[in-house]
Amino acid sequence: MRRILTTIALLSLLLAGTAAAKDKTYGKGVGEGDITKISTILAAPKDFAGKTVRVEGTAVGVCSHRGCWLTLSSDKEGETMRIKVEDGVIVFPKNIIGEHVVAEGKFMINKHEKACDSNKPGGPQIKCTTTYEIRGTGAVVDWK
Amino acid sequence: MGGFRKVCRWLHRELGFFAVGLTLVYAVSGIAVNHIHHWDPNHTSYTEAWSIEAPGTGETAEVLPLVLERLALEEPVKETWRAGRDLLQVFVDDGTIDVNLATGEVVREGHTKRPVFFDLNFMHLNKGRAPWTGIADAYAGVVIVLALTGIFLVKGRRGLAGRGGVLMGLGIVLPLAYAVVMRLTQP
Repeated sequence: MRRILTTIALLSLLLAGTAAAKDKTYGKGVGEGDITKISTILAAPKDFAGKTVRVEGTAVGVCSHRGCWLTLSSDKEGETMRIKVEDGVIVFPKNIIGEHVVAEGKFMINKHEKACDSNKPGGPQIKCTTTYEIRGTGAVVDWK
Repeated sequence: MGGFRKVCRWLHRELGFFAVGLTLVYAVSGIAVNHIHHWDPNHTSYTEAWSIEAPGTGETAEVLPLVLERLALEEPVKETWRAGRDLLQVFVDDGTIDVNLATGEVVREGHTKRPVFFDLNFMHLNKGRAPWTGIADAYAGVVIVLALTGIFLVKGRRGLAGRGGVLMGLGIVLPLAYAVVMRLTQP
Protein backbone atom coordinates (compact mmCIF):
# COMPACT_ATOMS: atom_id res chain seq x y z
CA MET A 1 0.00 0.00 0.00
CA ARG A 2 2.86 2.33 0.90
CA ARG A 3 4.45 1.66 -2.50
CA ILE A 4 1.23 2.55 -4.31
CA LEU A 5 0.87 5.79 -2.35
CA THR A 6 4.51 6.72 -3.01
CA THR A 7 4.07 6.05 -6.72
CA ILE A 8 0.91 8.19 -6.83
CA ALA A 9 2.67 11.02 -4.98
CA LEU A 10 5.67 10.99 -7.35
CA LEU A 11 3.42 10.83 -10.40
CA SER A 12 1.35 13.77 -9.08
CA LEU A 13 4.48 15.89 -8.63
CA LEU A 14 5.63 15.06 -12.15
CA LEU A 15 2.23 15.89 -13.63
CA ALA A 16 1.90 19.10 -11.61
CA GLY A 17 5.19 20.37 -13.01
CA THR A 18 4.05 19.71 -16.54
CA ALA A 19 0.60 21.16 -16.05
CA ALA A 20 2.05 24.47 -14.85
CA ALA A 21 3.96 25.03 -18.08
CA LYS A 22 2.49 27.61 -20.46
CA ASP A 23 2.69 27.51 -24.21
CA LYS A 24 4.98 30.08 -25.70
CA THR A 25 4.48 29.12 -29.31
CA TYR A 26 1.09 28.66 -30.95
CA GLY A 27 0.61 27.02 -34.32
CA LYS A 28 3.65 27.35 -36.53
CA GLY A 29 5.07 30.17 -34.45
CA VAL A 30 6.60 33.10 -36.29
CA GLY A 31 9.39 33.11 -38.84
CA GLU A 32 12.48 35.22 -39.07
CA GLY A 33 12.14 38.71 -40.45
CA ASP A 34 10.99 42.21 -39.67
CA ILE A 35 7.86 42.96 -37.72
CA THR A 36 5.48 45.35 -39.43
CA LYS A 37 3.75 47.92 -37.27
CA ILE A 38 0.00 47.48 -37.15
CA SER A 39 -0.40 51.21 -37.74
CA THR A 40 1.66 50.90 -40.92
CA ILE A 41 -0.61 48.15 -42.23
CA LEU A 42 -3.79 50.01 -41.34
CA ALA A 43 -2.48 53.20 -42.94
CA ALA A 44 -2.08 51.48 -46.31
CA PRO A 45 -4.03 48.19 -46.14
CA LYS A 46 -4.09 47.63 -49.89
CA ASP A 47 -0.30 47.43 -49.92
CA PHE A 48 -0.41 44.45 -47.58
CA ALA A 49 -3.52 42.63 -48.84
CA GLY A 50 -2.82 38.93 -49.31
CA LYS A 51 0.71 39.23 -48.01
CA THR A 52 2.18 37.38 -45.06
CA VAL A 53 2.96 39.80 -42.25
CA ARG A 54 4.35 39.63 -38.74
CA VAL A 55 2.85 41.98 -36.18
CA GLU A 56 3.18 42.53 -32.45
CA GLY A 57 1.10 44.04 -29.72
CA THR A 58 -0.68 43.45 -26.46
CA ALA A 59 -3.51 40.93 -26.53
CA VAL A 60 -6.56 43.07 -25.77
CA GLY A 61 -9.28 40.61 -26.78
CA VAL A 62 -9.69 36.87 -27.19
CA CYS A 63 -12.43 34.54 -28.36
CA SER A 64 -14.12 33.67 -25.08
CA HIS A 65 -15.10 30.05 -25.68
CA ARG A 66 -12.90 28.62 -28.36
CA GLY A 67 -9.78 30.81 -28.40
CA CYS A 68 -10.12 31.05 -32.17
CA TRP A 69 -9.23 34.72 -32.51
CA LEU A 70 -7.14 37.31 -30.80
CA THR A 71 -7.14 41.09 -30.95
CA LEU A 72 -3.79 42.85 -30.74
CA SER A 73 -3.32 46.46 -29.79
CA SER A 74 -1.62 48.65 -32.33
CA ASP A 75 1.38 50.88 -31.69
CA LYS A 76 -1.15 53.67 -32.27
CA GLU A 77 -3.76 54.29 -29.55
CA GLY A 78 -7.22 53.00 -30.31
CA GLU A 79 -6.22 50.82 -33.24
CA THR A 80 -6.39 47.04 -33.08
CA MET A 81 -5.78 44.10 -35.39
CA ARG A 82 -7.72 40.87 -35.27
CA ILE A 83 -5.79 37.63 -35.64
CA LYS A 84 -8.16 34.89 -36.80
CA VAL A 85 -6.92 31.34 -36.53
CA GLU A 86 -8.40 28.06 -37.65
CA ASP A 87 -10.87 26.71 -35.10
CA GLY A 88 -9.35 24.00 -32.97
CA VAL A 89 -5.96 24.18 -34.67
CA ILE A 90 -4.69 27.09 -32.59
CA VAL A 91 -6.44 27.79 -29.30
CA PHE A 92 -5.51 30.95 -27.43
CA PRO A 93 -6.13 30.74 -23.68
CA LYS A 94 -8.28 33.32 -21.90
CA ASN A 95 -5.45 34.57 -19.74
CA ILE A 96 -3.49 35.67 -22.81
CA ILE A 97 -5.16 39.08 -22.36
CA GLY A 98 -2.57 41.68 -21.45
CA GLU A 99 0.37 39.62 -22.74
CA HIS A 100 2.78 40.69 -25.45
CA VAL A 101 2.20 38.65 -28.60
CA VAL A 102 3.98 38.39 -31.94
CA ALA A 103 1.75 36.87 -34.59
CA GLU A 104 2.17 35.88 -38.22
CA GLY A 105 -0.29 35.30 -41.01
CA LYS A 106 -1.85 36.55 -44.19
CA PHE A 107 -3.37 40.03 -44.06
CA MET A 108 -6.89 40.13 -45.47
CA ILE A 109 -9.27 42.92 -46.38
CA ASN A 110 -12.87 41.84 -45.91
CA LYS A 111 -15.39 43.99 -47.70
CA HIS A 112 -18.98 43.35 -46.83
CA GLU A 113 -20.22 44.14 -50.32
CA LYS A 114 -23.54 42.32 -50.00
CA ALA A 115 -24.57 44.79 -47.35
CA CYS A 116 -23.63 47.65 -49.66
CA ASP A 117 -25.57 46.18 -52.58
CA SER A 118 -28.72 45.79 -50.52
CA ASN A 119 -29.11 49.55 -50.17
CA LYS A 120 -32.18 50.66 -52.11
CA PRO A 121 -33.39 54.20 -52.75
CA GLY A 122 -35.88 55.11 -50.05
CA GLY A 123 -35.13 51.95 -48.05
CA PRO A 124 -33.06 51.58 -44.94
CA GLN A 125 -29.47 52.40 -45.71
CA ILE A 126 -26.99 49.80 -44.57
CA LYS A 127 -23.54 51.06 -43.87
CA CYS A 128 -20.87 49.38 -45.98
CA THR A 129 -18.10 48.04 -43.84
CA THR A 130 -14.57 46.90 -44.47
CA THR A 131 -12.80 44.87 -41.84
CA TYR A 132 -9.17 43.89 -41.63
CA GLU A 133 -7.77 40.75 -40.16
CA ILE A 134 -4.77 38.51 -40.26
CA ARG A 135 -5.40 34.83 -40.93
CA GLY A 136 -2.95 33.70 -38.34
CA THR A 137 -0.71 30.71 -38.82
CA GLY A 138 1.25 31.12 -35.62
CA ALA A 139 2.08 33.27 -32.64
CA VAL A 140 4.63 33.60 -29.89
CA VAL A 141 3.68 34.87 -26.43
CA ASP A 142 5.98 36.46 -23.85
CA TRP A 143 4.23 35.31 -20.70
CA LYS A 144 4.71 37.66 -17.79
CA MET B 1 -11.21 -21.43 -27.41
CA GLY B 2 -11.96 -21.90 -23.72
CA GLY B 3 -8.43 -20.80 -22.79
CA PHE B 4 -8.62 -17.79 -25.10
CA ARG B 5 -11.96 -16.73 -23.63
CA LYS B 6 -10.51 -17.09 -20.14
CA VAL B 7 -7.62 -14.77 -21.04
CA CYS B 8 -10.10 -12.28 -22.54
CA ARG B 9 -12.17 -12.31 -19.36
CA TRP B 10 -9.10 -11.81 -17.21
CA LEU B 11 -7.82 -8.91 -19.35
CA HIS B 12 -11.27 -7.33 -19.58
CA ARG B 13 -11.82 -7.54 -15.83
CA GLU B 14 -8.41 -6.26 -14.72
CA LEU B 15 -8.07 -3.50 -17.33
CA GLY B 16 -11.74 -2.61 -16.84
CA PHE B 17 -11.11 -1.70 -13.22
CA PHE B 18 -8.03 0.27 -14.20
CA ALA B 19 -9.89 2.18 -16.91
CA VAL B 20 -12.79 3.41 -14.75
CA GLY B 21 -11.18 6.69 -13.67
CA LEU B 22 -9.72 7.62 -17.03
CA THR B 23 -12.91 6.67 -18.87
CA LEU B 24 -14.90 9.02 -16.65
CA VAL B 25 -12.34 11.79 -17.29
CA TYR B 26 -12.62 11.44 -21.06
CA ALA B 27 -16.37 10.83 -21.13
CA VAL B 28 -17.37 13.73 -18.88
CA SER B 29 -14.94 16.10 -20.56
CA GLY B 30 -16.08 14.83 -23.96
CA ILE B 31 -19.66 15.90 -23.25
CA ALA B 32 -18.42 19.22 -21.84
CA VAL B 33 -16.27 20.20 -24.82
CA ASN B 34 -18.79 18.81 -27.30
CA HIS B 35 -21.08 21.68 -26.34
CA ILE B 36 -18.45 24.40 -26.47
CA HIS B 37 -20.78 26.45 -28.68
CA HIS B 38 -23.24 26.68 -25.82
CA TRP B 39 -21.00 27.29 -22.86
CA ASP B 40 -17.43 27.78 -21.77
CA PRO B 41 -16.51 24.39 -20.29
CA ASN B 42 -13.31 25.69 -18.71
CA HIS B 43 -14.23 28.98 -17.08
CA THR B 44 -17.04 30.78 -15.35
CA SER B 45 -17.34 34.47 -16.06
CA TYR B 46 -18.19 37.30 -13.73
CA THR B 47 -18.88 41.00 -14.12
CA GLU B 48 -18.48 43.67 -11.46
CA ALA B 49 -19.27 47.36 -11.77
CA TRP B 50 -18.38 50.32 -9.61
CA SER B 51 -17.30 53.92 -10.00
CA ILE B 52 -14.21 55.97 -9.33
CA GLU B 53 -13.69 59.69 -9.49
CA ALA B 54 -13.58 60.45 -13.24
CA PRO B 55 -9.94 60.93 -14.23
CA GLY B 56 -10.78 62.86 -17.40
CA THR B 57 -9.92 62.18 -21.02
CA GLY B 58 -6.50 63.78 -21.13
CA GLU B 59 -3.27 62.26 -22.37
CA THR B 60 -2.75 58.65 -21.38
CA ALA B 61 0.47 59.49 -19.56
CA GLU B 62 -1.52 61.85 -17.34
CA VAL B 63 -4.64 59.81 -16.70
CA LEU B 64 -3.08 56.36 -16.31
CA PRO B 65 -1.47 57.02 -12.89
CA LEU B 66 -4.76 58.53 -11.69
CA VAL B 67 -6.73 55.50 -12.84
CA LEU B 68 -4.36 53.03 -11.21
CA GLU B 69 -4.33 55.02 -7.99
CA ARG B 70 -8.13 55.26 -7.87
CA LEU B 71 -8.65 51.60 -8.74
CA ALA B 72 -6.30 50.66 -5.87
CA LEU B 73 -5.89 47.14 -7.15
CA GLU B 74 -4.27 44.66 -4.81
CA GLU B 75 -3.20 42.39 -7.65
CA PRO B 76 -0.45 43.08 -10.21
CA VAL B 77 -1.40 44.87 -13.43
CA LYS B 78 -0.24 43.01 -16.53
CA GLU B 79 -0.73 45.82 -19.03
CA THR B 80 -2.87 48.83 -19.85
CA TRP B 81 -4.35 49.97 -23.16
CA ARG B 82 -6.01 53.18 -24.24
CA ALA B 83 -8.70 51.68 -26.40
CA GLY B 84 -10.36 54.97 -27.18
CA ARG B 85 -10.73 58.58 -26.06
CA ASP B 86 -13.01 57.60 -23.18
CA LEU B 87 -11.86 54.05 -22.58
CA LEU B 88 -8.80 52.82 -20.74
CA GLN B 89 -8.39 49.10 -20.23
CA VAL B 90 -6.43 47.57 -17.39
CA PHE B 91 -5.47 43.93 -17.79
CA VAL B 92 -5.06 41.73 -14.75
CA ASP B 93 -4.45 38.03 -14.49
CA ASP B 94 -8.06 36.91 -14.60
CA GLY B 95 -9.65 39.54 -16.78
CA THR B 96 -10.07 43.09 -18.00
CA ILE B 97 -11.06 46.26 -16.21
CA ASP B 98 -12.69 48.85 -18.47
CA VAL B 99 -12.52 52.40 -17.12
CA ASN B 100 -14.66 55.09 -18.67
CA LEU B 101 -12.38 58.09 -18.33
CA ALA B 102 -15.18 60.59 -18.84
CA THR B 103 -17.65 59.20 -16.29
CA GLY B 104 -15.45 57.16 -13.97
CA GLU B 105 -17.58 54.06 -14.47
CA VAL B 106 -15.62 50.86 -14.03
CA VAL B 107 -16.62 47.45 -15.36
CA ARG B 108 -14.53 44.43 -14.53
CA GLU B 109 -15.06 41.27 -16.55
CA GLY B 110 -13.15 38.24 -15.47
CA HIS B 111 -13.15 34.50 -15.37
CA THR B 112 -12.34 31.76 -12.91
CA LYS B 113 -11.51 28.15 -13.60
CA ARG B 114 -14.51 25.85 -13.40
CA PRO B 115 -14.04 23.34 -10.59
CA VAL B 116 -13.36 19.80 -11.87
CA PHE B 117 -14.24 20.59 -15.51
CA PHE B 118 -11.14 22.73 -16.07
CA ASP B 119 -8.94 19.87 -14.90
CA LEU B 120 -10.83 17.18 -16.80
CA ASN B 121 -10.67 19.21 -20.02
CA PHE B 122 -6.99 19.95 -19.43
CA MET B 123 -6.34 16.21 -19.41
CA HIS B 124 -8.75 15.37 -22.22
CA LEU B 125 -7.32 18.00 -24.57
CA ASN B 126 -3.78 17.11 -23.47
CA LYS B 127 -2.79 20.71 -22.83
CA GLY B 128 0.00 19.62 -20.52
CA ARG B 129 1.51 17.36 -23.19
CA ALA B 130 4.22 14.92 -21.96
CA PRO B 131 3.93 12.89 -19.75
CA TRP B 132 0.15 12.95 -20.26
CA THR B 133 0.65 12.01 -23.92
CA GLY B 134 2.10 8.70 -22.75
CA ILE B 135 -0.69 8.12 -20.25
CA ALA B 136 -3.35 8.96 -22.86
CA ASP B 137 -1.72 6.65 -25.42
CA ALA B 138 -1.56 3.84 -22.88
CA TYR B 139 -5.21 4.44 -21.97
CA ALA B 140 -6.17 4.33 -25.66
CA GLY B 141 -4.38 0.98 -25.89
CA VAL B 142 -6.29 -0.25 -22.83
CA VAL B 143 -9.60 0.79 -24.39
CA ILE B 144 -8.71 -1.08 -27.59
CA VAL B 145 -7.95 -4.20 -25.56
CA LEU B 146 -11.22 -3.76 -23.64
CA ALA B 147 -13.17 -3.45 -26.88
CA LEU B 148 -11.57 -6.47 -28.49
CA THR B 149 -11.71 -8.73 -25.44
CA GLY B 150 -15.31 -7.68 -24.81
CA ILE B 151 -16.33 -9.33 -28.07
CA PHE B 152 -15.42 -12.76 -26.72
CA LEU B 153 -16.76 -12.54 -23.19
CA VAL B 154 -20.11 -14.15 -23.85
CA LYS B 155 -20.85 -17.02 -26.18
CA GLY B 156 -24.11 -18.26 -27.65
CA ARG B 157 -27.19 -16.23 -28.55
CA ARG B 158 -26.20 -13.30 -26.41
CA GLY B 159 -22.67 -13.30 -27.79
CA LEU B 160 -21.03 -12.57 -31.12
CA ALA B 161 -23.21 -15.09 -32.93
CA GLY B 162 -26.44 -13.45 -31.72
CA ARG B 163 -27.54 -10.20 -30.13
CA GLY B 164 -23.99 -9.19 -29.29
CA GLY B 165 -23.03 -9.42 -32.95
CA VAL B 166 -26.00 -7.28 -33.99
CA LEU B 167 -25.14 -4.60 -31.43
CA MET B 168 -21.49 -4.68 -32.48
CA GLY B 169 -22.55 -4.28 -36.10
CA LEU B 170 -24.66 -1.25 -35.20
CA GLY B 171 -21.74 0.29 -33.37
CA ILE B 172 -19.54 -0.16 -36.43
CA VAL B 173 -22.12 0.93 -39.01
CA LEU B 174 -22.96 4.15 -37.15
CA PRO B 175 -19.54 5.84 -37.51
CA LEU B 176 -19.05 4.34 -40.98
CA ALA B 177 -22.35 5.73 -42.24
CA TYR B 178 -21.59 9.11 -40.71
CA ALA B 179 -18.15 9.14 -42.35
CA VAL B 180 -19.68 8.34 -45.76
CA VAL B 181 -22.33 11.07 -45.38
CA MET B 182 -19.67 13.56 -44.28
CA ARG B 183 -17.47 12.75 -47.26
CA LEU B 184 -20.36 13.19 -49.66
CA THR B 185 -21.74 16.38 -48.17
CA GLN B 186 -18.75 18.30 -46.84
CA PRO B 187 -16.53 20.25 -49.25
